[in-house]
Parts: sequence; structure tokens; C-alpha cells
Amino acid sequence: MTVNANYLELRHIEKRFGDFHVSKDVNLSIPKGRLVALLGSSGSGKTTILRMIAGLETPDSGEIVIDGKVVNDVPGSERGIGFVFQSYALFRYLTVYDNIAFGLRLKKASKSEIDDRVHELLKLINCEGLEKRFPSQLSGGQRQRVAFARALAPNPQILLLDEPFAAIDAKVRLELRTWLRRMITQLGITSVFVTHDQDEAIEVADDVVVTNAGRVEQTGTPRELYVNPKTPFVAQFIGNTAPIDNYDKFQFFDSVGPETRAIIRPEFVSVSKKGENRQFVKSAEEGVVEDVVFRGSSLEIKVRVHDVVISGVRSVNDPIIEIGETVDVFIYRLIIVDGEKIVLQENKSLRKESVVI
Amino acid sequence: MNLRKDSGALKWTLIIIGELFLALFLILPLVFIVRTSLEKGLAVYFKSITDQYAVKAAFLTIKATIWAVVVNTIFGVCAAWCITKFAFHGKKILSTFIDLPVTVSPIIAGLIYVLTFGRQSFLFPLLDRWDIEIIFATPGIILATIFVTFPFISRELIPVLTAQGTDEEEAAALMGAKTWTIFRTVTLPHIKWALLYGVVLCTARAMGEFGAVSVLSGHLRGKTNTLPLYIELLYQGYDFTGAFAASSLLVVLTIIILILRVWLEGRGNKDADIRK
Amino acid sequence: MKQKKTKSVIPGFGLSFGVTLTILSIVVLIPLCSLVVFSARLSPSEFLHTITTTRVLKSYWISISTAFVASAINAAMGLILAWILVRYEFPGKRFVDGLIELPFALPTAVAGIALTHMTTTQGWVGKIFYDLFRIKIAYTPLGIVVALIFIGIPFVVRSVQPVLEKIDIQYEEAASLLGATRRETFWKIIFPEILPALISGFSLAFARCIGEYGSVVFISGNIPYETEIAPLMIMSKLQEYDYASATSIALVMLAIAFVILSVNAILQSMVSKRVSGIA
Repeated sequence: MTVNANYLELRHIEKRFGDFHVSKDVNLSIPKGRLVALLGSSGSGKTTILRMIAGLETPDSGEIVIDGKVVNDVPGSERGIGFVFQSYALFRYLTVYDNIAFGLRLKKASKSEIDDRVHELLKLINCEGLEKRFPSQLSGGQRQRVAFARALAPNPQILLLDEPFAAIDAKVRLELRTWLRRMITQLGITSVFVTHDQDEAIEVADDVVVTNAGRVEQTGTPRELYVNPKTPFVAQFIGNTAPIDNYDKFQFFDSVGPETRAIIRPEFVSVSKKGENRQFVKSAEEGVVEDVVFRGSSLEIKVRVHDVVISGVRSVNDPIIEIGETVDVFIYRLIIVDGEKIVLQENKSLRKESVVI
Repeated sequence: MNLRKDSGALKWTLIIIGELFLALFLILPLVFIVRTSLEKGLAVYFKSITDQYAVKAAFLTIKATIWAVVVNTIFGVCAAWCITKFAFHGKKILSTFIDLPVTVSPIIAGLIYVLTFGRQSFLFPLLDRWDIEIIFATPGIILATIFVTFPFISRELIPVLTAQGTDEEEAAALMGAKTWTIFRTVTLPHIKWALLYGVVLCTARAMGEFGAVSVLSGHLRGKTNTLPLYIELLYQGYDFTGAFAASSLLVVLTIIILILRVWLEGRGNKDADIRK
Repeated sequence: MKQKKTKSVIPGFGLSFGVTLTILSIVVLIPLCSLVVFSARLSPSEFLHTITTTRVLKSYWISISTAFVASAINAAMGLILAWILVRYEFPGKRFVDGLIELPFALPTAVAGIALTHMTTTQGWVGKIFYDLFRIKIAYTPLGIVVALIFIGIPFVVRSVQPVLEKIDIQYEEAASLLGATRRETFWKIIFPEILPALISGFSLAFARCIGEYGSVVFISGNIPYETEIAPLMIMSKLQEYDYASATSIALVMLAIAFVILSVNAILQSMVSKRVSGIA
């Protein structure tokens, strides 16, 4: 990648709050027009990264580059960014119209310009007719969209969103995710949003940046992160994972290195009834069902195999499995932890059979 | 970047304006009182504050203050308990009446009591028959003091009890606890700092009440003079040293009260933090 | 749900409600009734005559105008004090914070004689003003204003301070990212947030100052038509045992206080409607 391809870049960013090291050598490159999620648990330093891009915090060292220019000393208001706050920070004493017009008025735009822009944005966010309302008279979803419009009003080149869906109830959240993704793609604006919810990151973003304890663990498309995690943290963080301490108990997996830790995902595991005709029954292991949990569209089966409880998924259409039943468990693959590296290993019998076929 | 950090010049200008204002209006008068009371030497000062009328006035002030604190504590706890733990009609009216006394001018408060217990009142024949003297006597002073400090304790308790909710009391009641047990073991720990805080505020206001007490005292020297009334008497008699000496006693009490207030507020907040 | 609950499992309602009502009756309700009964017996013409004599009208004017000026000064100073206490760190901050409460705790008569004695033309401060500017403080309306400023200091500070503390920094960040300067942020974003509290503090101080007696009676000098305040008019009528006139004057004062507090209540509910969204 050449430097020019990246519209927004963070180079070797270091930041401390007192004794707390929030950013450790953070490097990021975001190409123009991409929608990027900063994903991490709370305290991982993701919000600080966003705030440093916005100029709300100053890095102790390192460079923030926007469009080829180092902007460390440029005030946030002159960096060409729009910021959507977690709780929106809509001005309570101003109407929707005045909220959206706020930035434009400060830029001394003419009355007609402001009017046109505000109405254009109101149309974009589907809130026409609400301009005289106060923020308190809006629903959560409308507030979020107004905050979005207010950030977009001065025509920023980069849009930053801090936990954009955190303050909205679950039902509206799904709707807004789709809406926001469509909106940002349509506008083609380079966007970065912070989230702690992996589903949100995976569904909405083009690229996901996984942060942990002040570091960037891995950057990639959601699929890349899922299929090809580069660090144990990412492997464990993405997807519905469970750790296994002694994977060497399981047959058909080679041990890698001295460690015996591995990470397993339910979708790696197939659980079948005795006598149910499935592939690879020969190389399945035997286990006893401990619990069956209904997950809406599927069943999660918890099985004790070699004294380790692992989860597998099963379709609701499959024959019913009872607690206490002895079942066949086949593990397709495991993510094996080798120090700071990880290795994705397939079941040996899988390789053999594919050769046979 | 700290957005809230204003430039040094603006910050210090505002701080200096604020501090000068307070120094001029609050500190200077205090210094002045102490200075004037000691103007003629310590001997005169001690003679002034041990004057038998001064001592008598001090005792009446203490008496009225204790009455006000006790009555208002009982009232405040009961009222706060009713208002926050139960749903009933007329709660809003009740709250309004409780808060009413502090919005009324102290002179009007005094006037209302004169109208209630004075010669022209419909109650007067009754009081007269039983030989009860209220106005221009100690009971009137006590009543007036209770009146002007009436909501001080309930007002501190209600927010704390509202924030605490009713869950804990309901749980205790379902386990069979009696009223007094619930109050002592469940409610009281929540309100103890707020209660003490209210008592301090009540004491401060009670010992210093002037207007209402002035209307009801009839100024019988030695009999119905409280300290503030006694100070007025001395001041109008041009005994400035005496007036300021008596004032200095109240200043000392005021300072103690302010320190207690800050301390109690800190304790109360600390407890509230722990509970969070 | 709680509203509909008629019976609570918590015991002690009867007892506490009984005590509350008994004390409330003795201290507030019965005296208030007697005021109502007594007022009802006043003849309208007498009432009108009493409250429209020049001396009484003048005393209302003096009370209201001095209270207004003092409360306005306190609103401005209270805002500054609340601001420095919330936003800045400086040596002695805790001391200043505790000191604000002094006027609540110091007996008004003590404050009254101290301020008077200081501001007479021979006093520490009065002498300076008289010698330099030929301005008299004690025994003039200016003196009344001084005493009322003293009394009213805590009101605005204590109502603005908590609101200022609660303002989320996100509002200021949002405004700054949209290009607002500190000054613009203050006037457009922060000031509207604290304005309701400022108005409320002002109203409380105003109402309290109109009824203030103890601190004013010494410094005013009580010169009829010049520095005689309304509470003093009531006092002097009482000393003449003229209860009818005293009550008439008091009723008007109660009405004024009621109007001030109602206007404030209306303003506050308008604001809270806007902010809470119940339109």
C-alpha cells in the first residue's frame, strides 16, 4: 500500500493517562471511503484512539496524518472531521434545526446556504418535519440520526462515531445498523466507529481493527479476522469461542509446540446421535450430553468429552438429543495457541478423507 | 487536551473577583465583630459576656434551639417517612405546607402567631381560661423558632430516602420486622448523616432567628430576650462593645457550624458513594 | 404501578402520618387559618386605604427595588463563584466553598450590626467611601442593598453549582469540534443549561430579600419614605397594636412573594418540559 492510498493514518501513537498506558505503539492506515470499526473490550484504548483522531486528546508521541498532512497541532474543528458522541450530546436547548445548523453558523455560512444544507440533511436522515422539535421530543433512533446529521453538516472528510448504537434499545439497534451502513456507503465518507460489540463490528464495518490493552491486535475484513486470526486474543475475541486446556487428549490433532491450549468454536463441532448416519463417524469421539440450550434458530449442545465440556451446534430439525445421552462428537478444526502465535489445525481424518475423495 | 482549561488570565481574574467579593462581604464583617468586641480590652469583653442578662439570653436561645431541633427532628423523620415510603393523596399539598414557613418573611411569621394566640384571636378565650401565655412569653419564642426552621430536617431527609427507594423496608416488613425495628436497622443507617446535617442547619437558623422572635418577645429584658434580641437591645443602647461581644459568641458558634456542615457533607457523600 | 398500590407492606403509616399532621397543624395550619380568618374580617375599604398610603407604597417600593438590585448583583457574582468552584482548582477552594454558607448560618442581627457599624461614616469601610467619594452607605438604600447582598449570596451559588457540575463535557467537545470558540460555547451551550438554575436562585434570593428584616433593620436607619422597608412597616404597626393594618401590609407582601415564586415555578416547568420532552 502506498502512503497516498491511506487517507487517515496513525503512526506510532503513544498515550498515557497518568500511570495508565492507553495506547502502545498504535499504527493504523485507513484508505479513503472505508468504514472501519475499532473493536475491543472497555479499557482497550479504542475510544482514546478515536478521540485522538478528533483532536479531543493529544498523543504523547507519534503522528496523526490526515490526507498526507500531520495534524497533531491542528485543532479538532479544523481537521475536517465530524464526530457523533456516544450519548449524542445534542444541545438540549436548541431545536433539531439549530442543532444541525450549529456548525454551519459558526463557519459564517449564509442563511440560504444553511437552510438548504439543513433541509438536505433532514431529508437524508428521514427526519423532515421534525426541525422545530427539541432533542427530548425525539425517539432514540431519531436522536442518533440528528447527531449524525449535525456531524455531517459542515461536510467533513472523516466521520467518527463513538459507540453509535450503545444508547439505543436492542430492537431499533439492528435497524439503525443497516441504515448507518447504507448511509455511509452512499456518502462514501471515510468513517471510523468504536464498538465493543463484535456482531456490530462484523456486520457494519468494511474493516475491523481489534484493540486489546492499548495495542492494535489485528486489522482486517471481518472474514479475515474470523478465518485467519493472527493472535490468540483475536481468535478468542471473534466468534463464539471457548478455551480448551488440554487439546492433546483429543485424537486426530497433532500437537504444535509445548503448549496444549486451544480455542474451539461451536461451529467447529458436530454432535450426532449414536446411529445417526453422518460423515466421519469413524473418527468421532464419544461424549455425554450435559446440557441442551435452545438458541432460537439452533440448539447448543454441551458435551463432556475427555473430561472437557465443549459446545456444538445442531439444527432444530435434527433428531432430539436428551441430556445424559451418549453422543458422537466430531471436531472439524481447532485453533491452537502457540505462545503469541496461533495455528489453525484441521482434523487429520478430514485431510485423509479428502484425499480419498 | 483539556477543553475546560481556560487561559490563566481569565481563570485568575474570575477567582480574584470571586474571592475579593467574599472577603469584602463575608470575612471583613467577621473580623470586624471580633475586633470591635475586643476594642476595650479583654476584661471588658469578659464582663460583657458574663453579664447576667447576657447569660439569661444565651440560655433562652439554647432552650428555644433545643426545642426547635427536637420537634423538627421528630416531625422531619415522620414526614419524610410518610412522604417517601407510602403513596397517598395530598402528598404534594403536604410538601407545600411543610416548605411554606421558609418562604414567609419572619416578620409575617411573627404576625401570624400574634393573630393566632393574641387577644383578638378566636383561641384567646380558651387560652385565657387555662392561663396559657404564648405571645410575649417563652412559648411564643419557641413556637416562632420551630416555625422558621420547620422544613430544615425533612428537606434533608426526603431526597436521601427517595433515592434509597422502598425495597429494603418492604423486604424487612415481609420478613416480619416491626415498624421500629425497620426504622432503626434499615432506614436510619441510610439517613443518619443527612439527619445530622439537617440538625446542624436547624441549630444554625434557630439560634440566630431575629425577626419572628422579635415580634413575639415583647422585649422583656431577662425574661424573653434571646441572644440576637439582647444584641439589638445593647446596640440600640449604644453599648457597642457589649453588642459585639455577645455577637462574637454567635460568630464562634457559626464557625463551628460551618465546619460541622462541611464535614457532615463529606461523610454523607462518602457513604452515598459506598452504597453505589 | 406504585401509584395504584393502595396498601403498603411497610408498617407505620398511621403513626408517622398522625405525628406529621399533628405537628403540622399546630405549627403551620392553625396559624395559617387564623391569618385567613382575620383577613376575611378586614373591611375591603380599610384594607385598600392601608396599603395605598404613600408611606406604605414607598416601603414596598424600597423593599422590592433594593431586593431586586441586590439579587441581580448576587446572580452575577453567584455565577462567577459557582463557576470558579466547579471548574478551577485554586488554593483555599474548600474554604471558599464552606464560606459561601456563612450568611445562612450567621444570625441576621449579628450580620446587621456588623455591616451597619462598618459602613457608617465613621466605620472602617464607610469612612473610606465617604472621604473618597462622598458616598454614604449606612442609613441609605445603598446600605439596604449591602445587607441584602450579604443575605443572598448562597442562593445563586448553591443552585447553579450542582447544575454546572453535571454538564457533560461531551457538549463542550461537540461544540468545539463544530468550530465554536470557548466564548461561543459558553454563551450558546453552557449558559442555556444553567439559566434555569440561575433564574431559580435569583427568585429564591429575591423572595427572601423582600421579606428580610434582621440584617436590614439596623443598616437602613428606618427613615420614613426613604429607607423604611415593608417588614418594618408591619413591625411598627404591630407595636401600635394595629393588627388590621399589619395584616393588610403582610397580605400584599405574601402576594408579592407568591407571584415571584409562581413566575419562577412556571419558567422552570416550561424549561423542564422542553428538556424532558413532555410537550
